[in-house]
Amino acid sequence: MELVFLLICGGVAVIASLLVIFARSTLHSALWMVLSFFMIAVVYVLLQAQFLAMLQVIVYAGAIMMFIIYAIMMLNLRQESRQKTGARISKIIGVGSLIVLFLELMLVSLGNNLTPIPGPVSEKLVATYGRMAVISNFLFSDYLLPFEVVSILLTAGVVGAVVLAKRER
Amino acid sequence: MVDNQSIYLALAITLFIIGAVGAICRRNAIVVFMCIEIMLAGVGIAFVTFSSANHSLDGIFMVIFVMAVAAAEAAVGLAIFLLMYRKLGTIDLDKFNLLKW
Repeated sequence: MELVFLLICGGVAVIASLLVIFARSTLHSALWMVLSFFMIAVVYVLLQAQFLAMLQVIVYAGAIMMFIIYAIMMLNLRQESRQKTGARISKIIGVGSLIVLFLELMLVSLGNNLTPIPGPVSEKLVATYGRMAVISNFLFSDYLLPFEVVSILLTAGVVGAVVLAKRER
Repeated sequence: MVDNQSIYLALAITLFIIGAVGAICRRNAIVVFMCIEIMLAGVGIAFVTFSSANHSLDGIFMVIFVMAVAAAEAAVGLAIFLLMYRKLGTIDLDKFNLLKW
């Protein structure tokens, strides 16, 4: 059952990501991107990371894609989409080396039998307290400093965006 | 060990490479930006796979922080695209050569 869901959702995610690249219109790319993010959220659920799946839908498919679609609507991109992309030697070399990297990664990660190291979050701990409580416990103890740093970074990012986009009078 | 671990890893690698190819081949700045988000998603799947294989939460926290940084990056990046569009009238990446000598 899990395998069937994984194959369907993973396949749709890969196809949607390919369509992001190949779509002619930027807005269509953004909409395929939303589909891809939803499918990745399903993959997170299959990996027992339900919290992350919710964050994926709310933050990525909700907030970030909203940002991007607003930006596309504010810019007039119609004339760019006509231009033909010239195949230049640097692009060919780049894509070729990426294909080599792809094959290498596939061989390394699929060929070997990876043995796990059991970490601190056992099945018993999750069954006793629930996954969410365990996650929040770790987030507000071991990961408190990165959490605060990220909150400062987000505030700085929002202020920076407003300052950059403001029209000078 | 997660069931079907190799399939999750293959999915992660495929998404990463698709994003990288798009970031190289496309010239529209917003599409390149979305391709980078695809690469981040692929890395996230790999992180979560290893995290649940090892009964650990470190990978999940890494993905949470990556999401937060990606949100900040989206805000600043799109503001920069808007500014570039006002200055140059296009967001074609080949035309952004202010820092090239």
